[in-house]
Amino acid sequence: MSTEATHQIHDITHEHHIHEHHWETSWAPLVLVAGIFFLVPIGFSGHFVYENQLMTIIGAGLGVPLILAGVAKWVEEGMSHKNLVEGVSIVGLPIFIVSEIFIFLGLFASYWTMRLSAGINWPPEGTPEISTTIPLIMTVILVSSSFTMHNAEVKLDDGDNSGFNKWLIITILLGCVFLGFTVFEYNHLIHAGFVPGTNSYSSAFFSITGFHASHVFIGLGLFVAVLIPALKGKTNDSFVACASVYWHFVDVVWFFVVSQIYFW
Amino acid sequence: MSTATTTHDQEAFNLKEWIFTTDHKRIGVMYLIGSMAAFAVAGMMALMMRLEQANIGAQFIETGTDYNEWLYFHGAAMILAFLIPGLTGFAANYFLPLMIGAADVAFPRINAFSIWLFYFAIVLALLSVVVPDTPDIMWTGYPPYAVTTEGNTSFYVFTVHLLGFSSILGAVNFLVTVIYMRAPGMGWNQLNIFVWTTLAAFVLQLVFIPVLAAAVTLLLFDKYLGTHFFDPAAGGDVLLYQNLFWFYSHPAVYVIFLPAVGILFEIIATMAKNQIFNYKVCVYGGIGGVVAIGGEVWIHHLYVTGMPDWLRIGMMISTLLISVPVGLIVMSLWGTLWRAAISYNVAMMYSVAMLYLIMVGGLTGIPLAMTSLTVHLSETSFIHAHFHFIMGLFSTYAVFAAVYYWFPKMTGRMADNGWARISFWLNFIGINVTFWPLFIIGPQGMPRRYWNYEMFPQFEAYHEVATVGAFLTAAGVAIMIINWITSAISGPKAPANPWNSRSLEWTHAPNPPGPGNFPEAVTVADDWTPYDYNK
Repeated sequence: MSTEATHQIHDITHEHHIHEHHWETSWAPLVLVAGIFFLVPIGFSGHFVYENQLMTIIGAGLGVPLILAGVAKWVEEGMSHKNLVEGVSIVGLPIFIVSEIFIFLGLFASYWTMRLSAGINWPPEGTPEISTTIPLIMTVILVSSSFTMHNAEVKLDDGDNSGFNKWLIITILLGCVFLGFTVFEYNHLIHAGFVPGTNSYSSAFFSITGFHASHVFIGLGLFVAVLIPALKGKTNDSFVACASVYWHFVDVVWFFVVSQIYFW
Repeated sequence: MSTATTTHDQEAFNLKEWIFTTDHKRIGVMYLIGSMAAFAVAGMMALMMRLEQANIGAQFIETGTDYNEWLYFHGAAMILAFLIPGLTGFAANYFLPLMIGAADVAFPRINAFSIWLFYFAIVLALLSVVVPDTPDIMWTGYPPYAVTTEGNTSFYVFTVHLLGFSSILGAVNFLVTVIYMRAPGMGWNQLNIFVWTTLAAFVLQLVFIPVLAAAVTLLLFDKYLGTHFFDPAAGGDVLLYQNLFWFYSHPAVYVIFLPAVGILFEIIATMAKNQIFNYKVCVYGGIGGVVAIGGEVWIHHLYVTGMPDWLRIGMMISTLLISVPVGLIVMSLWGTLWRAAISYNVAMMYSVAMLYLIMVGGLTGIPLAMTSLTVHLSETSFIHAHFHFIMGLFSTYAVFAAVYYWFPKMTGRMADNGWARISFWLNFIGINVTFWPLFIIGPQGMPRRYWNYEMFPQFEAYHEVATVGAFLTAAGVAIMIINWITSAISGPKAPANPWNSRSLEWTHAPNPPGPGNFPEAVTVADDWTPYDYNK
């Protein structure tokens, strides 16, 4: 091979190389963060700190569409882009869950501190009768939803996309029923005069069950993000696996919430 | 390689490619810019406090609350918006993937998500200074004051949330990156020390930040939703907050300390052309030991707030024990310099200054670990000077040293010149002039966090000296930043590997690296290490 020819080949590979490696960009992360910023700090402060409803409306009005746009774009990219290394998402998510566990531990530690220092004066004054039937029903619903989600994954593995969609929708419905029970229960308790500020038990009750419910909500959000492309026939195995693992985690945490908050 | 270099040099600046970037190097540079901006504003707050304290009585302060607000911003911004993002944001992002031979981090879009959480947190922190009800709760936010104050505690809480979320996602990203994306052939004992220290810092972030997030969330609920977590009158526990807070915030010291030490190792090994002394002891005993014990010492921040003795004494022992792994790390640092022909350049000058800071800061920590002595030294300016040496300045110098050491890598140009040396000396003399007087008057009874000290007129001269020192430091830092900017634009071109390092970011990547980092995929031999200078 002559030097000229070698040179030419080198040039071609080099060009190819530059073409392959361009600066990667995505607007989804920035838009999603902007949405979170407007919805949470600005929205919350507008309502609770400055008592300025206009600020809250603007915060939520900007925040929610930005979050939806960011998530939609991110999911779209995630479905089509390949990771640099395949299969790392399903490792990353459990690492993230470690930190979720520690948030719950922080909340439970606060509850245990108050509970143990109260001694026999528990539940504190102002606590109405709290139904233990509702959380049992909710447990059945949430555990079933873990099984239906598992079923959905099995269908996906078999290549049965419509079966997957069906079981995923059932899972989402069960999650919604679970949140419906939360709303019903809160409504009932608030009418009985049991609000976050009532006493130390109500502080822990609403913070911990509310925080868990927010996780159910995020899990449902993930499922909807899986479902919309799935209805058009597009699925991504590792995305489904991540959403599912997250859901099982939320399910497991519920056992701790029920046993500590309702039955202790 | 040279072709690649010129291609990227001549690339036109494209703002859209920067703002929407998911590239770890550009994200690293954005972290550096954001954290230096936070450093500048927080530094000005420090200058205002020093000016106010220079003499007895009100200099230009209107109410004591002003001082609390400066202190809030100085502390919160320096730790949360400068040191942590400067080390685990800028340095980890830019250099860790290069050191392990990876093309990027495992989740580039999550990385971009992290940087924007950081920037929006800075926006919120700056907003908190311009609103009429600026937070005045230091960086600690202790109840009951944080709950009863007129100040806006919610902006503080959400700043912590945004930064915490950013760091947790960073932790997920970097742990997966190091586990799965090392160059083929690279075993665990062939990692740069900086990779190990970053990994350790992220393990701490992952486990401990959530607890801080829980603590400040409960603070938010107590203040704005009327809950009673920290209200003893209604069955809450006011010390609970301090426990949760320091459960994170003491390990946060190691989150800052460890990557700073990692940077120090990289520079020292390169400038001494030596392999790391006692590599395995340093990694598994030193860094691993800090991670293992770091979470069991937080009570030493609560010695004087009222703790049962078994807890105080237990944590005194674990606090003293942490000097064992730290001692192993320091031994490796000095051992690496042993019988070396050291090249002294600006990065190395900052590194030597760091060895001095870790020694003074570390030794002054020992009396503070002991309950009997802390009862007297706590809340004096001695503790103020101690943690500025070991934590504030040591890690700040790590950021500065990192910028000088990797300046040719990031910009393709050199910043190591006469101005860099002048600014180093101004800076170094300045910090000593500032903090030695505080070390001296602390044990004599000068309290910390006082804007006025008319009951202690004997300390006025010391305060005057300290204020002069603060301005020397500020002048040094200003010269340094101007030098960085001018050198990045028009400094002399750097050779490919100006320090003759053996680490992958110097041997295999162009200056500055383009998209994808390495022109050819990197593999390493079994006997390769980033420090094999003896071959």
